Amino acid sequence: MRRLILRRAVAFLATLFVVSVLVFTVVRVLPGDPALIIMGTEASPEAAAALRRAMGLDRPIPVQYAEWLGAALRGDLGRSIQYDVAVGRLIVSRLAVTLPLTVLAAAFMILTAVPLGVYAATRQGRAGDVLAMLLSQLGIAIPSFWAGLLLILLFAVRLGWVQAGGFDGWTAGLWPALRALLLPAFALGAVQAAVLTRTTRAAVLEVLRADYVRTARAKGLAERGVTWKHVLRNSLLTIVTIVGLQLGQLLTGSIVLENVFYLPGLGRLALGAISARDLPVVQGVVLFVAVTVVTLNFLVDVLYAVLDPRIRYE
Amino acid sequence: MTRSPRFGWLLGTALLVVGLGPGAPGLVGPPPAAAQAPQLAVQITAEPPGLDLTATPASATATVVFYNIQEALVKVDAQGRLVPWLAERWHTTDNLNYTFFLKKGVRFHGGRELTADDVKFVLDRARNPETKHPNARHYEDIATIHVRDPHTVTIALKQNNAMFLHNLARQGSVIYPREAVDQLKAHPIGTGPFMLDRWDRGDRVILKRNPDYHVKGLPKLDRVTFRFIPDTNAALAALQAGDIDVMAFGLGPESVEVVRRAPNLQVILGETTSDVILALNNSKKPFSDVRVRRAITHAIDKAEVVKGAMFGLGRVLGSNVDPLNPYFVDMSKAVPYDPARAKQLLTEAGYPNGLEAVLKVTPQYPYTVRTGEVLVGQLEKVGVRVKLEQMEWGQWLDRIYKNADYDMTIIGHAEAWDAGNYANPKYYYRYDSARFQEVYAASERTLEEKKRRELYAQLQKIMADEAPVVWLYVYPRLVAAKKGVQGIWKDLPNPSLDLSEVGWAK
Repeated sequence: MRRLILRRAVAFLATLFVVSVLVFTVVRVLPGDPALIIMGTEASPEAAAALRRAMGLDRPIPVQYAEWLGAALRGDLGRSIQYDVAVGRLIVSRLAVTLPLTVLAAAFMILTAVPLGVYAATRQGRAGDVLAMLLSQLGIAIPSFWAGLLLILLFAVRLGWVQAGGFDGWTAGLWPALRALLLPAFALGAVQAAVLTRTTRAAVLEVLRADYVRTARAKGLAERGVTWKHVLRNSLLTIVTIVGLQLGQLLTGSIVLENVFYLPGLGRLALGAISARDLPVVQGVVLFVAVTVVTLNFLVDVLYAVLDPRIRYE
Repeated sequence: MTRSPRFGWLLGTALLVVGLGPGAPGLVGPPPAAAQAPQLAVQITAEPPGLDLTATPASATATVVFYNIQEALVKVDAQGRLVPWLAERWHTTDNLNYTFFLKKGVRFHGGRELTADDVKFVLDRARNPETKHPNARHYEDIATIHVRDPHTVTIALKQNNAMFLHNLARQGSVIYPREAVDQLKAHPIGTGPFMLDRWDRGDRVILKRNPDYHVKGLPKLDRVTFRFIPDTNAALAALQAGDIDVMAFGLGPESVEVVRRAPNLQVILGETTSDVILALNNSKKPFSDVRVRRAITHAIDKAEVVKGAMFGLGRVLGSNVDPLNPYFVDMSKAVPYDPARAKQLLTEAGYPNGLEAVLKVTPQYPYTVRTGEVLVGQLEKVGVRVKLEQMEWGQWLDRIYKNADYDMTIIGHAEAWDAGNYANPKYYYRYDSARFQEVYAASERTLEEKKRRELYAQLQKIMADEAPVVWLYVYPRLVAAKKGVQGIWKDLPNPSLDLSEVGWAK
């Protein structure tokens, strides 16, 4: 177990280093620079060139990188060009939206998909199964931004139950804040729920055919007990793997939905920073997301060991 | 509340998901604030890249700050006229020495009175290249600035400059207190009808009423919230749902009918100074040949372009002087749609079998893509085979605007009085015409009204003749607002969104 964690920790750091070098270089090598974007088409080219120099962007990339890395190791991710505030503070303020949004979406996904998948598997080929599979097919087929727009049109424009988008902050109260996140979380979670339903169903079906399930039934255990105690427990390995991957996808999927629902989250921060070539922000966000995804994978790995004794003793 | 039962199932599911009991407070909030509340929520598409008007010419910054937070000595009003503003009057006897008399009792937000020292500081800073003002050239003719007393300042020019007063009215000429120069980017202070309350990065800017505003009785609103909503469909839904009151720039021509048909909404349709052009790279074959450029102009049916790409909204254009300009001459018929003539000119220029070119457009501005699609079809008919390529805005600025690495591109130039770009051979059109440059220079130094008008007429004729670019149409001003919102400018003679007189119908 300790060796596993150590091995993973080394991989973790190596990944972060590669990510940081890549993102730093890529945003600087690609055409487009922040000074030009700030100055636009109505300023003199000399002004853009002077601004570029003032930002220190005319220096060699390795020099800029070393400086940035040194500061980042001390916990300073730099200052946003566009916003003139510390990148770290920006990321934290955006997490207040993206984190609850992702958690809500994940909760929605897990709480609907796992029961539905188990239900469908235990009724394979019957009406309930067909209906569940139809629903999940629909969920996979509909792009989330379109689902988001449809939800806005129905619940905000037509029925007026919720606002069309935006987020007034947690200071406005717990319930108003959560309510603002319901539709986007639903739109975000639905697609992944559809995927997870199908995976759960397949995993459960496979376990249902196993010998020990027959044994459990043979010793007179009630079907309910068989399903939840033996079958689900043994399907969890597959389900956890998929959920772990999906958490990363929820994070990236939130970029699209934060735009449709104009939520001031991390995804919109990243998108805006890329089009504004707000280099410190792009670097900071990418690094942060990389840390998160790698950490999630790491946790999933550890969870494997907990769930499956065979891995623990390897 | 009769809504609750229908809401039940969604709420039930949601609460289950969230793990909250039915005891959660306030199931459905009250309807949006009553329409009479003296506040306004305005959608803008892009977030300003900083709030410093002396550091960026971005129209998003001007929309929020210009006329609302900060003002200049001279103002361009809703009709496009130059009117005295922070300077209540000025006089000059020789067109070289201008003495400005500042309006008395004008206070900066929450602070001291505006004085001539501030004017000197602001203009000295603007013309100093070290400060990276985006348009230091607008002030380069200033020789000295002399403060005579706290309310009088004399500006001496090196030479006549017909654009001098106009330049003082531009967004880059706003007056701010000299001690607040370091906070312009994040928290600008000025003399405007509103002061900055807060800027929630990535979400909104909130302005509150300036109780000491120097125009009595204004502003009419207590609070203005600018919300950044990039997706136009989302913005329209927010307007329909009542979350915002005004869509200031995001309304696409395709949605005008939807807004018109909505019983509680209105459309404000007007003119802007934004000239949408098909730019041609004049330094590159085949566009270095005036016959080819004229052929392309003849090949384009501009009325059809406006119909196809803009749903019929927008005025056909024939030169870079827009209809809001006092010297505007209608040149739209000068090089008319004539595909036969286009083919003939191409043959004369040595392209009897037509030619191939790449047209670059940017999805950042959807009209460029739609316009490009229409143009491809029209140019095909005269044998100009165009490949349409989409390009991200940052790349567009780098490749095309900065390095002129392109054949053709489509973009709208929002600035008023920008004919000078055609006198600059380094500008990305790479148009280098001694004739144009000469007449333009003369127009800059000529103050006599009649003569200046003649020179501008000449400029417009040269543009049409030499066809450095194809002027397609003026982008229309399209604003969607709730009914009851009053006082929004119909036309937009400069990039701004003056909210000082905006209010709700009683």
